[in-house]
Amino acid sequence: MTARTVIRNEWRLLMADRPLRIALGLFALLLVYALANGVVWTRFQESTVEVARAGNVERALAIEQELTDIENGAEPASPFSDPRLPNVLGGRRGRHTAVLEPGPLTALAVGQSDLLPYYYDVNIYTNESSFHQNGEVESPLNLMVGRFDLAFVIVYLLPLLVLALSFNVLSEEREQGTLALTLSQPVSARGVVAAKLAFRALLVVGMVLAVSLAGILVAGDFGAPGRVLLWCAAVVAYALFWFVLAAWVNSLRRSSAWNATVLVGAWLVLVVVLPAAINIAAGLLHPLPSRVQMVTAQREASNEAVNQRSELLARYLEDHPEMAEGVVADEPGLGALAWAATDAVNRRLEEVTAEHDARRAEQIALVRRYRFLSPALLAQEVLIDAAGTGDARFAAFQSQVRTFAERWRDFFVPAILASEQMDASVLSDVPQFRLADEASADVVRRAGVPLAVLIGLLGLASAGAGVGLGRVRGAD
Amino acid sequence: MQTAESGARHTPLLEARGLSKRYGATQALDALDLAIEPGEVYCLLGPNGAGKTTTINLFLGFVSPSGGQALVSGLDVATHDRETKRRLAYIPEQVMLYRNLSGLENLEYFAALGGKGSLGRERLADILVEAGLERDAVDRRVSEYSKGMRQKVGIAIAMAKEADALLLDEPTSGLDPKASNEFSALIERLRNRGVAVLMATHDLFRAKETGTRVGIMRYGSLVTEMGTDEIGHADLERVYLEHMHD
Repeated sequence: MTARTVIRNEWRLLMADRPLRIALGLFALLLVYALANGVVWTRFQESTVEVARAGNVERALAIEQELTDIENGAEPASPFSDPRLPNVLGGRRGRHTAVLEPGPLTALAVGQSDLLPYYYDVNIYTNESSFHQNGEVESPLNLMVGRFDLAFVIVYLLPLLVLALSFNVLSEEREQGTLALTLSQPVSARGVVAAKLAFRALLVVGMVLAVSLAGILVAGDFGAPGRVLLWCAAVVAYALFWFVLAAWVNSLRRSSAWNATVLVGAWLVLVVVLPAAINIAAGLLHPLPSRVQMVTAQREASNEAVNQRSELLARYLEDHPEMAEGVVADEPGLGALAWAATDAVNRRLEEVTAEHDARRAEQIALVRRYRFLSPALLAQEVLIDAAGTGDARFAAFQSQVRTFAERWRDFFVPAILASEQMDASVLSDVPQFRLADEASADVVRRAGVPLAVLIGLLGLASAGAGVGLGRVRGAD
Repeated sequence: MQTAESGARHTPLLEARGLSKRYGATQALDALDLAIEPGEVYCLLGPNGAGKTTTINLFLGFVSPSGGQALVSGLDVATHDRETKRRLAYIPEQVMLYRNLSGLENLEYFAALGGKGSLGRERLADILVEAGLERDAVDRRVSEYSKGMRQKVGIAIAMAKEADALLLDEPTSGLDPKASNEFSALIERLRNRGVAVLMATHDLFRAKETGTRVGIMRYGSLVTEMGTDEIGHADLERVYLEHMHD
């Protein structure tokens, strides 16, 4: 009864408050704009993936046609791009583009999908440098702040709206003198504040969820109910955290101005300062090796390899004795020498990038350890994971591409070393990339941890607010 | 306390038993004993800081007593917060309402909080008129109301609640004589319905006119009390001033 009464009164107060209605309207516009941004990005990514797939088919058809023509007596179009040569068929001309489809809810959270590559051209020359030319040398936290999408609005702007709506939820009643009259009725301050905040939460969360579901309807995938539920749960828990924090601060019985100062300070610390501090700490404690150093090492290795081709081939065969028996031509051809040089460069690169990867892993571990301090980081993690645009999905994609690149090399390199020629019959055996995308259940399990911590923080704030509001009397 | 007729134990609507309140080193209320029966208007007189508002706040449960008990219909306010508030109505010195809502909307809200949500808008509008508000003011925003009009909405809230007891904290402070008279008439009507009224006031004239009993407080203690029919206006003023001197 109390809740219904308070909620009806809140509705009347909202209807009578023009500035508040304008603020809510602006927020709704921001949500729609953010969603439109996400939808545009998703469409772009879908079209890119489509183009990449069409490219795979077109290249395969063109090569098949040329090989058939050559078998029928035609000359190759160019001796340097003769598709019978395994280093051409397995090289850039015959490359296969491995693609990662947009995550099921990418329209809601672009996440890292605009920073991390969602397609790789795989050929025999694919090496570690292929995986390090995509801006990810940046700190993982920088990668987390991306486009103006729905997740951005939720993580950064939603708390500000929540605080604007609730910083004076109780202090205003006291300041305008209605608190005494209210608490002279058979109601508790806790019940009244809870009902007032419930109304505001319904309004704000309702708007966000409505726009989210509209986004899923327009560009997403309702076939991933686990992800949709995860998204909704993160939105609700995060919004409620800020509402409850406002209630807690209000329960301290200070002025509205004091509440506003403290709550904006909390927003600054939890949403801006803490993530930035963790970012700086990650950079200071585990600095990434210089990118220039990595590129220089790559060039040095490449030059060295060119200068020592024969020696390198001998070393390669030493490392790969299976290649030495009958596979390698008696007189190493040009392709075999080139491959030996390529392999040497790859090995040197692996050494250099291993150090980089280790540091980056340490940075990520540090961020993961301390993300529990910031509800904004927790919410961000759950939202982008639910959307399928988090680093875990991209890491899984990259890992599968690495495996695929190895399969690709294993298919073509023996032929290169043996100076064999290939024909159209091998085309059906050429490896194809098939992404094994993560199951919703795995995502729910992984994102369940930060979500549980977020809910824990919400519980903590609720307990504080509950105790504080329990002490509020009409004579405060 | 026992009534002469029944001989059985009688429960006053409002009762203070050794009620005390201390704020740090200050004794705001010192072992107050008080009993107010249905249909009685008890006026608490005294200077600022005498303990009048503290007494009302203790009956409302707005502050916790340092000692003794505040009882409403025999129920201890400290342990029966909701039950006692159901039986009480309160009108503060300044009835502050939601300025962006109309008088009727304010009444609807507070009446519903008080457990009278089933009263229709028509009935509530009638109560506002009964409390002295002009019919055409009922749907106007409270931001356009005078203090007297807001006090009338406060009275209407108390009337709609049909409370057994009414607590008034200097309700006529700042009202013009006409509005004060109308206010007194409303209190008189509530008294006739058997409502027990505890009113803290500085207004000796209003206390004599409206009250059935008057108590004079000083330094947190009730220094004297008398029936208003036993004393004239001039005597009340004299007694009051006598007690204000050390």
